[in-house]
Amino acid sequence: MSILINKNTKVLVQGITGKEGQKATKAMLDYHTKVIGGVRPGKGGEKVEGCPVFNTVAEAKENFSDVDTSAVYVPPFAVKDAVMEAIEVGIKTINIMAERVPIKDTAYFLAAAKEKDIRVIGPSSLGYISPGEGRIGVVGGPIVEEIFQPGGVGIISRSGGMTNEVAWQVRRAGLGQSTVVHVGGDLLMGTTYADLLRLFEADEQTKGVVIFGEHGGSYEFEIVDLIKNKEFTKPLSIYIGGKFAGVLPEGINIGHAGAIVERGKGAAEKEKALSEVGVKIADSYEGLAELIKPHV
Amino acid sequence: MNLYEFEAKQLFEKYNLKIPTGVNVRRGDDFEKAYQNLGVLNVVLKAQVLSGKRGKNSAIRFCSSPGEVKQACKELFAMEIKNQYVAAVRIEEKLDIDEEHYLSITYDTCARQPVLVYSHEGGIDIENVKEEKIKKQLLDIRISTPPNPPLERGGEVVPYVKELWDCFLGEDCRLVEINPLVKTSNGEWIAADAKIALDEDAFYRHKDRSPSTSSGFAPRSEMGRPPTEREIAVKKIDEGEKYYQGTAGKYIEMDGEIAVLFSGGGASIANMDALMQAGLKPANYTEYSGNPPRKKVYELAKIVLSKPGLKGLWIAGGVANFTDVAATFGGIVDALDELKPNYPIVIRRAGPNEEEGIRLMQDCAKRNNLKIKIFGKETPMSDTAKVLAGMVG
Repeated sequence: MSILINKNTKVLVQGITGKEGQKATKAMLDYHTKVIGGVRPGKGGEKVEGCPVFNTVAEAKENFSDVDTSAVYVPPFAVKDAVMEAIEVGIKTINIMAERVPIKDTAYFLAAAKEKDIRVIGPSSLGYISPGEGRIGVVGGPIVEEIFQPGGVGIISRSGGMTNEVAWQVRRAGLGQSTVVHVGGDLLMGTTYADLLRLFEADEQTKGVVIFGEHGGSYEFEIVDLIKNKEFTKPLSIYIGGKFAGVLPEGINIGHAGAIVERGKGAAEKEKALSEVGVKIADSYEGLAELIKPHV
Repeated sequence: MNLYEFEAKQLFEKYNLKIPTGVNVRRGDDFEKAYQNLGVLNVVLKAQVLSGKRGKNSAIRFCSSPGEVKQACKELFAMEIKNQYVAAVRIEEKLDIDEEHYLSITYDTCARQPVLVYSHEGGIDIENVKEEKIKKQLLDIRISTPPNPPLERGGEVVPYVKELWDCFLGEDCRLVEINPLVKTSNGEWIAADAKIALDEDAFYRHKDRSPSTSSGFAPRSEMGRPPTEREIAVKKIDEGEKYYQGTAGKYIEMDGEIAVLFSGGGASIANMDALMQAGLKPANYTEYSGNPPRKKVYELAKIVLSKPGLKGLWIAGGVANFTDVAATFGGIVDALDELKPNYPIVIRRAGPNEEEGIRLMQDCAKRNNLKIKIFGKETPMSDTAKVLAGMVG
């Protein structure tokens, strides 16, 4: 088992004719993920990597009624309309790779998605992977087999590069991964740590979870409540980057858009709150795998 | 991007929020004349800084004559408030304050929607106000009609909720805050202070605001000082080709002696922590991410290395997903070939085309006699910070 994706997941790529969309389509097909087609207004009828291109999401859905996931690679200014289109058609999982999406647009489609019980992952997500099952996006790139192998560790990361790096540290420790998700570094996250921990709790394959977190925002504090309410009971280790940011002026953001220096929401405060409910805190990200190893 | 109070007040005026009568002065202005032209006897002078507690740092002065204003302006411009540069001084009528309230709209990240926050206890940080004295109302961003205004203790409707909501939506704000929202002794409501954070990712919808246009807000460093030459230069390279915008945009100049070139937002903050843990001090914070072209990385590297007094260079990144290690390293090699630094260099990187990237670095080190140590994914990033610390001594 895994979360979010398996061998039968059928993926639509919005913005499939763009450079990033094409690259991602190829990366997914290489990993044997079923890309049923893509969307690019005005380019319906064309093909990318052998996949049909449609003018609208609705048209794609008419041809492939079982499409369940959309990967969004359109430019930032077009993201809101693209996501709204996917929501209206009722695609259940929408993964947004586009970066630099205005917060107002993100808040807009997240509100719409919530009403229809649609899961949004991102924006600014690299995608996610369940080793041996499939991947959305380019996680692992061309060296995916060197980094990923099926196993019991779930991984959640705020950073795209660190998604791969942490997965590698897990592999180096002799372990494998169940599902690895890059949630994106934006101020507003469609899917949070807490959302994913609930899924990992229900997933038999996942024996423990590691998280690469950052200073800024409140998302790590949600984990504290989740554990207190026994909604997540598996071993968890976390690294929170940005301890140095304490010396910086408030309000500046560094690393990612959501990593804003805010009083009470620094890396140290988060670590303290998490450690009080039994989460294992890593001093450096390399420590994550070693902390979780004895428990999985 | 955080705005200065006087900039935020310009936006408040545009949305019909009443602000105190006032004028902004800068270094070199005629302070006495500005005061006289204002035509108000009792004024308050407020140093314009991006953050920090102005009241506690005597950055707010009360004056009643041209001489007093001149002296106070001189003193304020000579100050640094918690390392924050004073960009301007705002001279405003002194209000006859009866009550101080708090009103703001920002994003509640847990609910993932905007939230209106009101308290009748204004004038202090909202974090220090007791929870039961704060009224919060989650808002639906899809509805542009103004939210219902809360009532204040006397049963009166809190003003400016519509105006603030219009400003929040119309300007793509991350935060709009009035603290204090003042009720004067004759019952008038005035936004005595103003705080706005704009969403930089929405600047394409507000070209007239963006610091990259001449009509926009003045460029600023997030450190609360004027941007340094190098910071300005890096912003310039990033404005180039549209497709690559944002891939090499971050350079913050710092006080230390170790130059850094990091790849990826997450790796960069983890590495800053590791650098400090290893006892080294960063000369800058820099990251490139995505897939920047060779030329852009070259220009970025050259600027990073141009800082005088460097004692080491750390080039580090995780196992890349799709960044072409050879292409980006090619850019760094071009800069190293040109500048041939004689201080120690440590590199840690992996990902697509890593063999070629590392070979490029080794060749470059050989032909320039560089003191360089190169690591791949078998060595964790933090460990290589310790290696650099050993070499720097």
